[in-house]
Amino acid sequence: MTTLDNGLQVVFLEDHSTPIVHLAMWYHVGSKDEKPGRTGFAHLFEHLMFKGSKNVAPDEHPSAIASLGGESNAETDEDTTVYWETVPVQHLPLVLWLEADRMASLDVSEEKFRAELEVVKEERRMRFENPPFGLLPELIYDRAFTTHPYKHQTIGSMRDLEAASIADVRAFHDTYYVPNNATAVLVGDFDTPQARALVEKYLGRVPRGRPVPRDIPSEPPHTTETRATVTQPWPLAAVVVSYHITRDGDPDAYPLHILAKILSDGDSSRLYRSLVYQKQVALAVDGAAKLIEHPNLFYTVAIVPNGTQPSTVLAALQAEIDRVASDGVTAEELNRAKRQFARDYILNRETVRDKALQLGHAVVIHNDIRTADGEFDLFQNVTQDDVTRVARKYFVPGSRMVLTILPGPANGTAQ
Amino acid sequence: MIGRGPRLRRATVVLILALVSLPVADHAQEWPREGPPAPLAARPVVVPPYQIRTLANGLQVVVVLQHEQPSVAFRLIVRAGAVQEPAGRPGVASLVATLLNQGTSTRSAEAIATEIDSAGGVIGVGSGSELTFVNGAVIKDRTDLALGLAADIVEHPAFAPEEIELQRRQVLSSLQVAYDDPEYIANAVLDRLVFGEHPYGRPDLGTPTSIARITRDDLVAFHRQWFVPNNALLAIVGDLTADEAFAAAERAFGGWRRGDVPAIPPTTPPPPARRIVVIDRPGSAQTEIRVGILGLSRGHPDYLALELATRILGGEGANRLFGVLRTQNALTYGAGADLHAFKSSGEIVAETNTRTATTVEALKLVIGEFARLPRDPINPDELRGAEDFITGHYPLLIESSGAIAEEVIAHLFFGQALSEIDTYLERVTRTTPAMVQRVAREVIKPGQLSVVLVGSASAFEPQLRAAGFLDYELIKLADLDLDSPTLRRATSGVR
Repeated sequence: MTTLDNGLQVVFLEDHSTPIVHLAMWYHVGSKDEKPGRTGFAHLFEHLMFKGSKNVAPDEHPSAIASLGGESNAETDEDTTVYWETVPVQHLPLVLWLEADRMASLDVSEEKFRAELEVVKEERRMRFENPPFGLLPELIYDRAFTTHPYKHQTIGSMRDLEAASIADVRAFHDTYYVPNNATAVLVGDFDTPQARALVEKYLGRVPRGRPVPRDIPSEPPHTTETRATVTQPWPLAAVVVSYHITRDGDPDAYPLHILAKILSDGDSSRLYRSLVYQKQVALAVDGAAKLIEHPNLFYTVAIVPNGTQPSTVLAALQAEIDRVASDGVTAEELNRAKRQFARDYILNRETVRDKALQLGHAVVIHNDIRTADGEFDLFQNVTQDDVTRVARKYFVPGSRMVLTILPGPANGTAQ
Repeated sequence: MIGRGPRLRRATVVLILALVSLPVADHAQEWPREGPPAPLAARPVVVPPYQIRTLANGLQVVVVLQHEQPSVAFRLIVRAGAVQEPAGRPGVASLVATLLNQGTSTRSAEAIATEIDSAGGVIGVGSGSELTFVNGAVIKDRTDLALGLAADIVEHPAFAPEEIELQRRQVLSSLQVAYDDPEYIANAVLDRLVFGEHPYGRPDLGTPTSIARITRDDLVAFHRQWFVPNNALLAIVGDLTADEAFAAAERAFGGWRRGDVPAIPPTTPPPPARRIVVIDRPGSAQTEIRVGILGLSRGHPDYLALELATRILGGEGANRLFGVLRTQNALTYGAGADLHAFKSSGEIVAETNTRTATTVEALKLVIGEFARLPRDPINPDELRGAEDFITGHYPLLIESSGAIAEEVIAHLFFGQALSEIDTYLERVTRTTPAMVQRVAREVIKPGQLSVVLVGSASAFEPQLRAAGFLDYELIKLADLDLDSPTLRRATSGVR
């Protein structure tokens, strides 16, 4: 790992198993950096990065990569925006040149901007508005958060998307798309000295930008429970119980991940076994500790089959949460969760893209590349007491949200 | 089409840019105007080797080695799917697959779940038109446990009555959700239109009616008939030696008893017939659009040319549909076409989705691209784009040892010569525009396309009629019956 004069962090990992290379450009900007009235902008902007720069015509970037047999895409989440290419290794100069060109000289026309806005609105309709349960994350986060921008989803609202202007595009690029806010991760069949020289040549000449603002409002502590019942035009009811937890990288994060596995990973997990298999009150159940850069949620969701009262399912869900907080977990459950974690750890490091993802996450979110490997031991060292302690610490009524969504008209409120 | 009042908007933006964009302008001036750099020297592509052996009981085993991670993945395929279902019992294959890991003669459903989860493994089951699969992956020190579990669930499923009833209820609830999912409905209805009454047209999950009707005897009989080692294939991909992998396969599956497998005479679907079905789902935010036609079987001599034609229509490296629907007209987030090929037939399916107001505009573009493929000469550059993608993509593809195993197992499944794997890239680059053109003309008859629209029908019906689509069938979502040739629930008056 190295840092260029312009502030760009660069990570190299040689992997000579196949003659390909993966480049991931991480920009430390996501939907939590968006200002009120501009939700969805980080993701909209990600689309615009494909719409032309000084030496690259609109849409030429992905078509150039595809004509080499390569793959390219980008993803935006709450904390980061990642652009990536995987190509036969001889094309490493091209992908570095393409990324440098759009970092330094993005040039989007009003016409392309307006058209891409329509594409993103279609994406919102396709992913969230049209499928059953698609709006579930929006319903959960809008109620669970009051202040922190995790309150809104990365896709943003239709109204805010409509309000975006090309002036926003310029300002956003100027503020966040600077080398001192970026990390390049290269994994593949290269020799590091040669790759380093190419990175210097193309990405090294992008001028440093101003320091990046980090004025993100924090969420005040939650001390009273939130309860709501709403309606959505979904085929079945859903119930949610969520709690505010900590951030990724906090010592509590590791036992929280283990706790989530014990509650919800596999058919032997507590929630599946109790709600779906034994009591048969849920069609499906999920529980996850969303551990990202800032404190987020532990949430559990159950889908309620016809003929079952949502209140019955909520009670069953709450009983399992209360039981783990009061009685803790068994040694057998802990060992099972650790094996499952080891499995995920192995299976998530198979491809060059997987490996780059782990490294980029360690550098950008943990600010410590050693965590990409070091977390294995942290997880294996979690004890039964650790898991019980975090269950008791975070599963408290004051930070709880209980949400029931009944079939009915869109955005209706019941009760 | 899209810019409402573009003139005014543009003027405003120019003014804003003049005020705010100075630093960017500085960068832009410094930044050189230049072409892309030349590539480095290419490095050799070494295809991971594979080995095949057949156990004494007839089970064919493919082994591919990978030594990057201490894991072992496997895929067992049994030639038993919708095609093998007895008359009047659609959905049996799917329910059998669902019940495989819900208890065996010696393990309860809970024991199976605990064993695989505790081993640090995963097992998944499912079925399709002509196969049932058991997939898994595990940390390599528990390879025997995971393979042994897989063998137990395919050989000795218990089909306990209480498990059947639980899974039946689960499937019925899942179907309730699926029947409100516009993507699921669009795909299921299109398959029914393209393949007609042929089993390839049956929905993989079954239907509410068919699932409700199936008895334990149906499940046991289907399993006894088809789940034998001489009707199955196993692929193992992992951090083992080949001998270790074959020995593990022998330990797990060596005791599985061979059986007689009835021959099923291949049947071909009815000839394509134009049919346009509108499924009314009021309140939809978008319309799901599918356009399809019968294609070719996987083993057909023209399969490769049709694959390239389909890529030009809607695949990586070319994709006319994406170009016209997204890049040029911003009507959708995604658009593409795929060739789904089976043993005796196949289908080309184009799919996209768009806001309700632009339903017919998008539909006309999709149909227009279908019609253009056989009509206009294939542009050699476009074909080269599709070919270049396939050849350039090869080193990316073989990064995963699982992809090689998939290729080998698919060739065995479809009865294709394994030498075809080695000659594939050469055959791709030898395919000419004229070959693609001929096959496109033989297969794609624009007058026989099947069309499915799932969305808020009343909002786009007037446009549909105005555009000349007068012979469409309108079906309310609540009336949809995928078992019926009319796709409509019989009006019995009793509900």
